[in-house]
Order: sequence, then structure tokens, then C-alpha cells
Amino acid sequence: MPMSDKDIERRDFLKATTAGGTLGITALAGCSGNQGGDGGDGGDGGDGGDGGDGGDGGDGGDGSDGGDGGNGGSNLPTYTYVNNAQSYNPPRHDAINLIASQFGDELGLDMEVDVLEWGTLFSRVSQEYDYSFATWHTFFVSEPVTELNNLFNSSNTDPGQGNYSGYENADLDELMSNYLGEPDDETRIDQCHEIQQTLMDDVPTMPITQMPQAAIFNSNQVSNWQADLANGFNSYWTMINLEMEGGEDTLKGYWPETLSTMNVLGHNDESKHVYQFNMMYDFLIQLNNNAEPDPEVSLATDWTRVDETTMEYTIRTDHSWHDGEDVTAEDVAFSYNYVNDNEVPLYSTQSQYLDSAEVVDESTVRINMSEPLGPFNLAVANLIPIIPEHKWADRSNPSQANIEEPVGSGPMMFDYWEQGSEFGMTKFDEHFAPVSFENRFWRVIPEASTVWENLINGDLNYEPFGRIDRQLDQNQDNENIGTQFNTAATFWMFTSNTRQDGLSDPQMRKALVEAIPRTPIVDQILFGFPDPGFNIVSPAFGPLHTEDITEYEESIEAARSRLEEAGYTWNDDGAIQAPE
Amino acid sequence: MGKASFVVRRTLQLVVTLWAVGTVLFALFRLMPGDPTSYVVSSQMTQEARQQLIASYGLNDPLHIQYIRFLENLVVLNFGQSFHSNQPVTEVIATYLPNTLVLMLTAFIVAYAIGITLGVLSGWYRGSRFERSTVITALTARSVPTFYVGLIVLWIFGARLGVIPMSGMTSLGTGGSNAGFFDMVFSMDFVHHLLAPAVVLGFYYMGYPLLIMRSSMLEVLSEDFIDVCRAKGLKERTIMFKHAARNALLPIITAAAIALGYAVGGSVLIETVFAWPGIGREMVRAVLRRDFPVAQGTFIVLASTIIFLNFVADLAYGYLDPRVTYD
Repeated sequence: MPMSDKDIERRDFLKATTAGGTLGITALAGCSGNQGGDGGDGGDGGDGGDGGDGGDGGDGGDGSDGGDGGNGGSNLPTYTYVNNAQSYNPPRHDAINLIASQFGDELGLDMEVDVLEWGTLFSRVSQEYDYSFATWHTFFVSEPVTELNNLFNSSNTDPGQGNYSGYENADLDELMSNYLGEPDDETRIDQCHEIQQTLMDDVPTMPITQMPQAAIFNSNQVSNWQADLANGFNSYWTMINLEMEGGEDTLKGYWPETLSTMNVLGHNDESKHVYQFNMMYDFLIQLNNNAEPDPEVSLATDWTRVDETTMEYTIRTDHSWHDGEDVTAEDVAFSYNYVNDNEVPLYSTQSQYLDSAEVVDESTVRINMSEPLGPFNLAVANLIPIIPEHKWADRSNPSQANIEEPVGSGPMMFDYWEQGSEFGMTKFDEHFAPVSFENRFWRVIPEASTVWENLINGDLNYEPFGRIDRQLDQNQDNENIGTQFNTAATFWMFTSNTRQDGLSDPQMRKALVEAIPRTPIVDQILFGFPDPGFNIVSPAFGPLHTEDITEYEESIEAARSRLEEAGYTWNDDGAIQAPE
Repeated sequence: MGKASFVVRRTLQLVVTLWAVGTVLFALFRLMPGDPTSYVVSSQMTQEARQQLIASYGLNDPLHIQYIRFLENLVVLNFGQSFHSNQPVTEVIATYLPNTLVLMLTAFIVAYAIGITLGVLSGWYRGSRFERSTVITALTARSVPTFYVGLIVLWIFGARLGVIPMSGMTSLGTGGSNAGFFDMVFSMDFVHHLLAPAVVLGFYYMGYPLLIMRSSMLEVLSEDFIDVCRAKGLKERTIMFKHAARNALLPIITAAAIALGYAVGGSVLIETVFAWPGIGREMVRAVLRRDFPVAQGTFIVLASTIIFLNFVADLAYGYLDPRVTYD
């Protein structure tokens, strides 16, 4: 296979992607939903969000001929690459088949691909650790090391704790711990670089593609798209900077499926909810497009770190809730204590660092941490919504509350929610960072071709889902369509389960990484929109990212040479043999 | 056996059938691969928080406890609370079912009115060009995938000609008017949105009554009483509709009862293509996301409707044809 020029011949490509190549495909289930809230995955280009994807129904019966494929006779075990159903995420399904085919055909591993419904796949990987390789869309929000600590800390290796790769490295643990407790930004940058270098040396996880953030819009009606790190072109920063064109005063978007809830403390972190609540509620800290806390657009106008575990925030005293009540320091303290005391599952990661919040005076709130957290603004203050005490104080089980008309203090107010049909918000004129449009609605439209017709004719004027597919490729040059792409902090990951025989060997993992056809996946499956992955901390993180890491060639020859040097051999059937 | 004892016996059967359906549904959803909590929880949650949430939904109780609780709730029509929206399932059904009923009943009534009429005529004019063309039309209607017809209709009449709306029940951005459901249903905007999906669905539904009515007519027309009618000098039109068609209607009653029951389940494909916020899409979504309460609730409503309408059809048989007894 001509990997040297990073291209894969069409026939080989089709063979590998459509039927799993020579691999046996065990389809245990095949249904998925659009975009599904999966908690870990996100759709691509927003297919569901960080939770989920989105797809649109339909069943996903993928082929199933069962059995093992690849090469027999290896003294390594049969490796299982878990794959989502084709209907759930077609490009990713194809990419996984392609990679598995490379591992089987070119490296001689005994491979099988298990096609699973998303929930099963997620449980198999994150709870049961019953897999060899996994790939999904990983979202890092504004602070990378809190995510890396969850994924790779040696103390998180029990089922469900986050470290599903099983990778353990005491030096890395210490580095991450130091980073998280370090209040100085500059020192944290150096520590973050060292963390990346360690991880990219050992590659328990490798980004296959760096997925872009995409703004897709009707250029006659809306302009000035500026992305932020976490939520891309659906962020607060984007919305408060948008400019409407041609007399249009409504931002008109869509999502393939309905919202599930209006409860800001009770959703499952899917982007479709995050994007709405980020506009309905304020947060102590908001970020600008350089991923910096910006007091001009935040509820807090100033902040100081009193000591290692104490932050003080000065908040606006002239702000009100959407129902006219004043936003007070008591509300802010209440929000933090309420989330912490009620152990709201959605914010359990943030609560780990919270001890209590107290009102110092009418414009000052002090937050006491349970342990030092250097990037507190990015990892906590930017994520916990400020909720009105007068609405929430009497709710005893906040995560399961059925909220019909949410009241926040953000730049957009709840207007209507016609379930399954449309969700609308209207401008909150008194907000300190107002939006330039009067209304924003999202229509539920599952059918992609309808969305594109609506975008072109102006019935919709933006595409918040950011679906990267053939239709985008075909329509991006239309005179009514504008597009803008930004490097995102999200990627398709390739993770090896280091608990399995052979995969604890870093040389094997590096060879696997070299055998992944990253460029063909980008060019032939994803229409060239993303970049091939190379570092787990994306350039989108600015100074936290470093280019000074181990880079891996895309080359079967390099992979085989590496394995040979490490003592691996191949028998007459082409099956790989581990060193004795 | 009289009608009263028949009704009692069938009612008891109906209860047993519903229990069986409920039990099968309960077992089915728990045997399905896939962890419902993986859709409810976020990857950001700690393990403790995840366990706490799972416990709050009762998902860590032994299966027999969950089953007993499920049956207890079923008796009082409490289907529980959605894992996803935290809404009571009855509210979820009340939100989506009326939308589906309006679409499906419109399509159903139009389809059966046209289908029965064409079936009568094609049976009556057997061997004619008219019969051949109606049979071909009916077979085409049943054979072509509805979503495909829907997409073509949308592309031609929506995207190219712009005479039908592309999605939903109302115009884009017109939500929140606080108009009630019936105000919406009787608005011109709604009727405009209803037209295309109802016609596409109606076209699909039409084939079934047409073919049944035609074959039933052919059977009736060969009976002696039709000759008697002719001998009496009755007009052909009177024989066709008043005598032949009425006697040929019985098979349609059973078919219509079952079809109407299924209609309550909506049409996932049509609801997806036309972005119609109906129960079908919600049902599929609930299954895909392992939202057991919503999936169970919607399936039980669907099953109950089919069972009940079948029961009504049995009763109607005796009324429409006095020769049928309740023994």
C-alpha cells in the first residue's frame, strides 16, 4: 500500500472502509441517534456535541459476518477495535475500518472490529475496559490538563474513573499534580509542555485528526464570526460579537434533534444544551477569543488570588436577572454552594475543588477551594453557571428538576420552547455584553439537505451543528454561504488499552501510531477539512501548546522497522511475533 | 354467548395481553445492549457522581424490584420520568402524540376515502384500463419508500418551486405565540405545513385499502344477491355502492383498525424528512438513548391502541354483519 506518499488507492480504500476489509466485523448492535448524548463523544463537527452525537435516528445495522480476521498465528492476542455503527457517524466508522485494516494487513496483527451501538461502546471502553483500541471525538474544554489528569492519572484506573487506557506513569502524575496546584501562569506553561512531551513520547493516546471549528452561515445576513476555544463559533464571545447584515435581526439556526431539558444543572453536557445555557446564564469568568479571562464581558470585573486555595471576585452590582430581580453577591455564593452541597453530577469535577463560597460584601465573593487549583478561572469559574437563589433555593434535587421557563442573567432570555420543533430566545437589553440581534431560534431539522436549502435561501442563517460532510464540501462555494474554520481543541483520538498484552510496550504503540493513515483519513474521508493529528494539546490552546514533541511519521515502513528493532518478527503467514 | 359476556371475556383477554406486552417490553429494553446511563451522564462526572445518578433513577436495583415497580406504576398509568428531560413520560407523550395524530389521521382519512372508492371502482370495472392503472398505482404507492417520495416532493415543491414549506408544523421563527394546540391546527400556516407530509403519507396508505377493497368487491360481485339486485332492475350505481360495496367493507374494518393503531406510532421516516415533531421520532430517539421510561410508555400506548381498536373492530363486525355471532 503506497503509504509513503500518504495516499491510499481508491480500491484499497473502499475495500477497507466499506466492509472492514479482510477483518471480521461483529455487529452486536447498530442503532444510534443523532447526534446521542454520550458523554464522551461528540459528533464531528458538532454532531451531537460532547455528548453526543447526533445523528439522526435510523438504524445502523452494520454488516456482521463475525469471526476473526487478519492474521492467524501471532503470539499476540486478537485485538478488538471497537467501532460505532455506520449510521451513527459514517466518516469515523470508515476511518476505524481503515486503520484496523492497516494494522491487520500491514503490521500482521490479528484484528477484529466490533461494531457497537454508542452506549455499549462507551461502556465497553470506559467502564469494562473490554477493548484493545478505541476512537471517538474527544473534547477538551478551556483547560487541557484537568482533562489529561482525568484521562491519564495513575489513580484513575478503576472502572469508570476516566483512565481507560490504563496508562500509568508516576512522573506524569507528579507533573500534572504540580501543574494543577501552580498559581503562576508562566510556570504552568512550562509544566504543560513537559506533560505533552511525556504523553507524546509514550502515546497512550494519539490524535488522528485535529477537528476544526466551523462557522457555516448565510453571508448576506450575518458576519464577524470570532471563535473561542471551548465552544468554537457557538461561544458566548462569538455571539456577543456577531454583526447582522441586510436588515436581518434574528439569528436562525437548527439542530438535528430536540433539546432534552431546560435545566442548566440537569443536562448531560451535550453541546446543544451548553450552547443555549451559555447565552442564558452568566458565569463569573468569560473568555475572549484568545482564551483569556475578559473582565469586560464577565460577571466578575476583577479577581484576586488571596492564597493558594482562595479566590476573591468583584462582581457587577448593577446587573439583574431576566425576571427583573437584582443579581447579587449572595446569588453568586449561593450558586457555588448549591452546586457543591447538592453534589450536582454535571459539575462533580468542579466540585472536587470547591469547599465553600461566602459573601464578603455586596460586590465581593470569596471562594474557598478544597485543594489548590492553579487554573481555577478556566477550570471552574468559567464553567459553573450563576443561578438565581430566589428560583433555586427550594429545589431539593436540582439535577432532576423539570424546569419549564429558565431564568438566567445572560445576554439572551428564554422565549419559548416548542419541544421537538423549535427553541427561541430573545435579547436581554440590560446585559453588560449585549448581542446585536433581537432573537435567536433553533429549528429542529433532522434532514441535512433541508438545512442546506434553508441556509442558501436565508430561512436559516447559521449552522451551529458544524457538520463536516460532503454537503459542506459541495455547498461552501455557494454565493450565499460563508464559511470560516478555526483550529479547535477537539480531536479524534486513537487510544490503546495498555492493559492488554503487547500494548503496554511503548514501541508497539508508537508503531501503531505510525501505521495510522492520518492524511488519507483527512483527505479522503473528511474532505480535507481537519488537519492530521500530531499533539494531544492542540495549537488552539495557544502558549500551552508546544511543537517540541515527538512527532510520528505516517509510514508502514517506519512502523515495521521500529517493531523489528524492538525484536518483533513475522512468520510465513505474515503474522507478527512478539519477542520472547 | 351474548354480547355482554363476549365483552367481559375480551376485556379480560385485553388486560392479560397488555400485561404480556408490558412484560416483554420491560425485558426487551433491559436485554438490549447498551448502558442507559452512558447517555444520561457526562464524561466530566466523577465515578461517585455517576453512581449517585444511576441510583436516583433506580437503575441499580435488582431487576425483579424494577419489574414490580414498573407493573405497579403501569396499573396507575404512571410511566415514570424521562431519564433525559426529567419530564413525566405522560407529558412527553402529551407533547408529541397530538402532532402525530393530526398528521396520521389526516393522511389516514384521505387515504381510506380515496383508497376505498378506487377499490370499489376497480373491482366493479374489472379488466378495464382503469382497473389496471389503479392496481399499478396502488402497488407503486406501497412499494416506493415514503422517505424517498418525501425527499423528492420536498426537493421539487419546496426547494425548486417554493410552494411548500421545507420543515416543521409552523413557519420558522414563529414559535412562542402562546396559541393553543387547536388554534395552531386550524391556522392556514399549519394546514400549509401539513399538506405535503399528509399527501405523501396518504399516497402510501392508500394502496392497502384500495387492494383489499378491490379483491373483496370481486368476491362479493360473484355472489347471487348481486344478480338478484340486477333482476330487480336496480341502477348499476346503486348496486355498486349500496349493495356490493357495503358487503365488501368488512375486511377493511379489521385492516383499518390495525392501520389506525399503527398510525398512533407515527412515521419515523416522514417525521424525519419533514421535521414533523411527532411521537415516532421521539420513540426511536428514546430507544436509541435507552431512555427506558419514555420508550416503554410510548410503546405501551401504541400497543394498547392497537389492541383496543382490534377489540372495537371485533365488536363492529357483529354490528355491521348480523350473521356474525359472539360465540
